[in-house]
Amino acid sequence: MEKAIKRYFPVFVLPTMIAFTIGFIAPFLLGVYLSFCKFTTVTDATFIGLKNYMKVFEDPTFIHSMWYTALFTIVTVLLINVLAFAVALLLTKGIRGTNIFRTVFFMPNLIGGIVLGYIWQLLLNGVLAIFGRTLTYSSVYGFWGLVILMCWQQIGYMMIIYISGIQNIPGELIEAAKIDGANAKQLLRYVTLPMVMPSITICTFLTVTNGFKLFDQNLALTNGAPSKMSEMLALNIYNTFYGRTGYEGVGQAKAVIFFIIVGVIAVLQNKLTTSKEVQQ
Amino acid sequence: MKKKKLIAVLLSAAMVGGILAGCGGSGDSDKADSSDKKEATGKVYYLNFKPEQADQWVALAEKYTEETGVQVDVQTAASGTYESQLKSEMAKDEAPTLFQVNGPVGLATWKDYCYDLADSQIYKDVQSDDYVLKEGDEVKGIAYVIETYGIIYNKALLNKYFELDDAEIKSIDKLNNFDALKKVADGIQAHKDDLGVEGAFTSAGMDSSSDWRFKTHLANLPIYYEYTDKGIESTDAIEGTYLENYKNIWDLYITDSTCDASMISSKTGEDAASEFTLGEAVFYQNGTWAYNDIKDNEVADEDLGMLPIYIGAEGEEDQGLCTGSENYWCVNKNASEEDIQATLDFMTWVVESDEGREALANEMGFVTPFTTFADYLPSNPLVQANEEYTEAGKTPVTWNFTTMPSEEWKNGVGSALLEYAQGTGDWSTVETAFVDGWATEYAAANE
Amino acid sequence: MLQNKQKNKTEMRHRDQSGKERKSKHGTLLTIIFTIISVLYMYPIVLVFINSFKKKAYISKYPFKIPTGNMYVELENYIRGIERTGLIEAFGWSMFITIGSVAAIIICCSMCAWYISRVHTKVTKAIYVMCLFAMIVPFQMEMYTLSKVANMLKLGNPWGIILIYLGFGAGLSIFMFTGFMKSIPLEIEEAAMIDGCTPIQTFFKVVLPITKPTCVTVTILQAMWIWNDYLLPSLVLDTKKWKTIPIAVQYLKGGYGSVDMGAMMGTLVLAIVPIIIFYLVCQKYIIEGVVAGAVKG
Repeated sequence: MEKAIKRYFPVFVLPTMIAFTIGFIAPFLLGVYLSFCKFTTVTDATFIGLKNYMKVFEDPTFIHSMWYTALFTIVTVLLINVLAFAVALLLTKGIRGTNIFRTVFFMPNLIGGIVLGYIWQLLLNGVLAIFGRTLTYSSVYGFWGLVILMCWQQIGYMMIIYISGIQNIPGELIEAAKIDGANAKQLLRYVTLPMVMPSITICTFLTVTNGFKLFDQNLALTNGAPSKMSEMLALNIYNTFYGRTGYEGVGQAKAVIFFIIVGVIAVLQNKLTTSKEVQQ
Repeated sequence: MKKKKLIAVLLSAAMVGGILAGCGGSGDSDKADSSDKKEATGKVYYLNFKPEQADQWVALAEKYTEETGVQVDVQTAASGTYESQLKSEMAKDEAPTLFQVNGPVGLATWKDYCYDLADSQIYKDVQSDDYVLKEGDEVKGIAYVIETYGIIYNKALLNKYFELDDAEIKSIDKLNNFDALKKVADGIQAHKDDLGVEGAFTSAGMDSSSDWRFKTHLANLPIYYEYTDKGIESTDAIEGTYLENYKNIWDLYITDSTCDASMISSKTGEDAASEFTLGEAVFYQNGTWAYNDIKDNEVADEDLGMLPIYIGAEGEEDQGLCTGSENYWCVNKNASEEDIQATLDFMTWVVESDEGREALANEMGFVTPFTTFADYLPSNPLVQANEEYTEAGKTPVTWNFTTMPSEEWKNGVGSALLEYAQGTGDWSTVETAFVDGWATEYAAANE
Repeated sequence: MLQNKQKNKTEMRHRDQSGKERKSKHGTLLTIIFTIISVLYMYPIVLVFINSFKKKAYISKYPFKIPTGNMYVELENYIRGIERTGLIEAFGWSMFITIGSVAAIIICCSMCAWYISRVHTKVTKAIYVMCLFAMIVPFQMEMYTLSKVANMLKLGNPWGIILIYLGFGAGLSIFMFTGFMKSIPLEIEEAAMIDGCTPIQTFFKVVLPITKPTCVTVTILQAMWIWNDYLLPSLVLDTKKWKTIPIAVQYLKGGYGSVDMGAMMGTLVLAIVPIIIFYLVCQKYIIEGVVAGAVKG
């Protein structure tokens, strides 16, 4: 059978591969190359070695955005996962209205980041105005504004995954634990938590990458104001590319660094997942 | 058999998609079609700098297309993004045929793209060479609008203040220097309840869409006085000799204001305009172009006036309004011959035909440097205010912000101004951004 | 996978019932608490809705007031929003791009995935590894060069962008399809081939129908991404001719030298409403798709 299929390479694989080459491989390779060049358009690139990378680390806004993003990711990963798990636990207890609550909590996910950003800008600026402040008054407000926005958007998504994880725990296991005299706390600690470990890994992975790659919400909510202090990595890279003439190469170098960071996180996460799965 | 069915399903899915898009996008796709057909006659793509007139340009372009059948696309860049958008558009296959530079600094970047307009009809229509950008004998850019800005004020409200018993300044003639302006503003602020206003100045909105009023236009004054003192027209290193005055006027704007300084980071120009039109503030720093937003509201045309921005420089009693242009038309040299011709024709039509002149002078409210506009003096009262100052022999302040080294410099000054206003930064940050920022950005731009 | 889901459902029913009996006393309290939280959860959207009927000058000043008297402007904000952004057209193009891209992804990627899960050569292995790799690479890495490549190949139109979405979405989709196809027993396909089906027939008659659950998952995940995507179309598309909804919304900010809050509110409501309706109708598939996507991803 393999041989018969093999001849059909042009039909099955070629269309996707052409698109994949245009949409992914070519830009990727070109991007790596251009990070070592000075250019304003792709055609006038001249090789300048590591100069762009040196400029990246001389740029305080980039370093700041890196820490800002890291901190943001840690805070949102913790908050979103804890809250989503708590909601999932409560919503699997069969209380009345469960379906409606689930529907409501999941809804913000489907709204795009740009639209979400402007919705929350209105609300948060309205609330802060009572205290004579605005979202862009300092990066602290922008930070917590973004955290709240992300929680609002993502808790529902993660909750859905946790709910399915909790529901996959075999009933017998819980019954058995109860017969052995486990109380609610012990049940959670020794049965539920270990059993939903795969869901936890997935949700952590998703929230980490979502946090690191966050762009639309950042753009719409604060756009980096004030003084680029609420600028996250992705937005910082974008602004380097499109905000300043002559800095395209630096922007591309930042993008490569960004890629490496995200890549390392993904690989680490993957290692963690596989080791956990072996244990089970 | 099943395969056919599947293909049929796929096709119909694709068609539904097409139809859905077609319903909504019919206007656009029609346009695209006609442009394909008219390829031979050349077409125009205008990348417009002025967001305030975005809609009017589109309408004018449609009128031209209707009349001549020549396709004219108008795209307007969001404020603060013109330079980057021009850069990305120029790299494209269908690059703009008509674009704008803001003055000598912009021309330095784009001069290799500029078609020589020396033989063009539109150059013959310009009043004088003061309004063109030249390099040697080549005419690279032609200004199409002359604008003026200052402090727009509400005459009715200001007169109400003059009538107050303890008003220190009693007439508009005395309001001709910074001290007087400060006295009036402080007085209005102190009597805001009596006058029924919320502050002397409209909110100094520093939202990134609107902060150009202060980081660019207001910053022009200290630069103007420094240039005048030194007798120069541009510099690679600014000294900031008038920064103290910049601070004074900025302090006035944010203290005698409708809102608390901690709130301005999210305020926009739109907010300021609505405060002014609702009669909540007396002063509003902006230019002739703002008339579009002000007219047909609660403030009557005869109540509109414009004051020079006084910053406390010596001899400012004779200072006029800030007048100049940062809108020079350039034609893309690299466009095809047909497109260049079509673009030149379009420009000529805009400044010579009745429709074009009507749109520029009355709908957009522009004062233009073209001789063809003798019968088309705009009804804009803010423009008339400028004429009064010129007639009274005041010296207009030139637009030196066209020599600011880069957009990044403006952003740096803007952020520092905001931080200072909020109290999260101090004035020295503004000084650093202004003086040191100028030197580094100038060096980076002229590398 | 299929069996698993079946088990899931019976499990759910079982636990729901037993849960109800046990927890009824806490149940009412929890229901009340969650009702309050749910109302708060919807509040941001409601707030935008309320403000969409307010005169623009009052929106940022009094965001929490109900528009009455001279604050109330009927549908003015909606009309201005639609006029300024070309929202109706943007809706059409968003629709076209999303449907077109998802259809292309489903067909092309499932075919490609079947091939690489059945044919074992160095090439197919390399393709699979590259797909894994593509899932990690952030868009910022590609953004500048992708927009240049797209421009050079004249892909800056709604048809071209479908090709780009196919290329950029291929990584995740092929990965998910391959994961599922590896679990399909080979015997079914072999039987079809012995009966004289060509590989193309085998794929469309036998394999694709079995793959339906994965198709749903991929559709949901990709549609959510493409519909809401701002950056890629804003860089690639010739935005003077074609706008998508997120681009139209963002254009309101700064597109006119300042922000028209009224038009913004109207546009936001119009951007949200179709999504909410779609969600309420297709909720079951969306949630299942998300769960299945997460388990495999």
